[in-house]
Amino acid sequence: MHYKKSKEKLEVTLTGDFNLNAVRHISELLNDRTELNIDLKNSRFVNSKAIIFLHNLMIEEKGVIVRLKNPPKLFFKLLQILGLHKAWNLDEIVEP
Amino acid sequence: MDAHLYLEVTLPMLEPATDFTYKWCVNMGLVDDDAAKMTLAVDEVLTNILLHAYKPETGYVELWFQYTFSEIEITIWEKGEPFDPDRYIYSAEKAINENDFEGAALETIRQMPDHFLFLNLGKDGKEFRLVKKFADSLISDLASSGRDSDIVSSEQELAGDYKVAQVTVNDAEDIAKLIYRSYIYTYSKEDLYFPRRIEIAIMNEYKFGTMVRTKQNEPAGYFAVIKSTDSLIGEVGEVVVSPEHRRKGLMKIMMNELISMSRQKGLLGLFGMAVTTHLFSQKVNAKFGFKSTALLLATSSRSVYKGLDTKPSVTASVVLEFLPLIRRWRRPITIPELYKELLTEIYGQFEKQPSSPSQQNQPDSGSGKTDLKLNILYEKNSAVIIVLNMGTTFETSCLRMFRSIEELNLTSVYIDLPLNQNPLDKAITWLKEQQFILGGLMPLFHRETDYLRMQRILKDVDFETIETHTEIAFKIKERIKSEYDALQKK
Repeated sequence: MHYKKSKEKLEVTLTGDFNLNAVRHISELLNDRTELNIDLKNSRFVNSKAIIFLHNLMIEEKGVIVRLKNPPKLFFKLLQILGLHKAWNLDEIVEP
Repeated sequence: MDAHLYLEVTLPMLEPATDFTYKWCVNMGLVDDDAAKMTLAVDEVLTNILLHAYKPETGYVELWFQYTFSEIEITIWEKGEPFDPDRYIYSAEKAINENDFEGAALETIRQMPDHFLFLNLGKDGKEFRLVKKFADSLISDLASSGRDSDIVSSEQELAGDYKVAQVTVNDAEDIAKLIYRSYIYTYSKEDLYFPRRIEIAIMNEYKFGTMVRTKQNEPAGYFAVIKSTDSLIGEVGEVVVSPEHRRKGLMKIMMNELISMSRQKGLLGLFGMAVTTHLFSQKVNAKFGFKSTALLLATSSRSVYKGLDTKPSVTASVVLEFLPLIRRWRRPITIPELYKELLTEIYGQFEKQPSSPSQQNQPDSGSGKTDLKLNILYEKNSAVIIVLNMGTTFETSCLRMFRSIEELNLTSVYIDLPLNQNPLDKAITWLKEQQFILGGLMPLFHRETDYLRMQRILKDVDFETIETHTEIAFKIKERIKSEYDALQKK
């Protein structure tokens, strides 16, 4: 996993799938930062633990701004399966 | 190629396991999207095991990767804390309103493969089975898209001369066309309508065969052996001769070629599953020296054909016929008393088939833990339980296995008992109490060992419709019928 940290923002490029291992790494690195950018160009999937992790970050009182770049097709499919596709503001979360 | 992983359940194990899963799925012929779905499902199962199954100790997990022509199956086995997936129902409403994501992982696991099965084997652990079917083009789609310029017409073939060659991946589309043009959609093996599946099976050497072509290079006949995955034997399972080229001896040419090729590839024997609705296949097998050894009831087909209404299940039974290709195949020293007369007669059909006093054929006394392997045949709606080791826990392990597959509503359940292990008579008697009846001898069927097959049939069987060609097949049928009738009276 490659990352860049600033005071407010954590930028991550995953080298593999967005799974439990990646969730734990990102969680450790994020601390109190309020912005999280993740590039998923190397990911085949985002698993349910990762989706729940992102969901919790976004609904926290403080609220972390999450942006995803290059999400795999399966991410959208899983979001739909879990019924979150309408709850998430994908226009803002997913970078075009 | 089938594969097996045995892993310690740790966080660093997740990535190598999912990387292997993805690559294996792609190598076996799944498209990228489907391979990713299977990988996600495996990741979710392993993550759940890691987080919940072995707390606070560590444990192990086993993964089996199995390929068939129409689908792949990944089985994940673990022996951690008891768990009931039916109690974890995901609700999107609860997730959004109450931030309660219970069941999210299981919902993902259920949705990614085409079939998901959870089998609770009690003290023998738990299995998660994930099945994905191949998404390939049907041959009718290819044929109707202007690629059927090579339709064999009777005018093209007058000379009657043919050339025979070993099948290669380049023959895949012609094989599918031959099947389609000869049978439309009535051929029992649906995989043969998908050129890509044929190509992958040939490429991975799961099958080999011969192709007969006319001098104009038009396909006229195809005959193949499907290699068994757990023993050095093969099934003469796929055959077609184009209607215009029938009665010209092509079947004989191809069968002789196949037997020769099988010997060269080191196979110990060949078997055929001849349907009992007519005698043609049984007669052909008999002509080439195959001998009847078993009668398997109610092997049904649940195929759904494109362009046609879905047909109801068709029940068909098959006679298993065997041709040994080596002289060193010997019958076991001990034969269960319950079927001694019949099995002796079955073995007696084969020349040079003495019982051997060699160490290899001495029966084991059935010690240690029972080891069972479950194969679910999804398309046939049946299951085969293979007894790899008949240990002291045979009955309890079988009961757990039966319970775990109860909800699958199978048409038939078969159990294969190794003839080189004891106590066989006790096991057979117990299985009969569990409503199993005789199936017959399965020569060299698993791990190059002879097995006795018992069968439990869960739908009505009309023995009047079962036609048998050989005397021994008739005797096997009569014995099975008497056991079946006795069971019905109970």
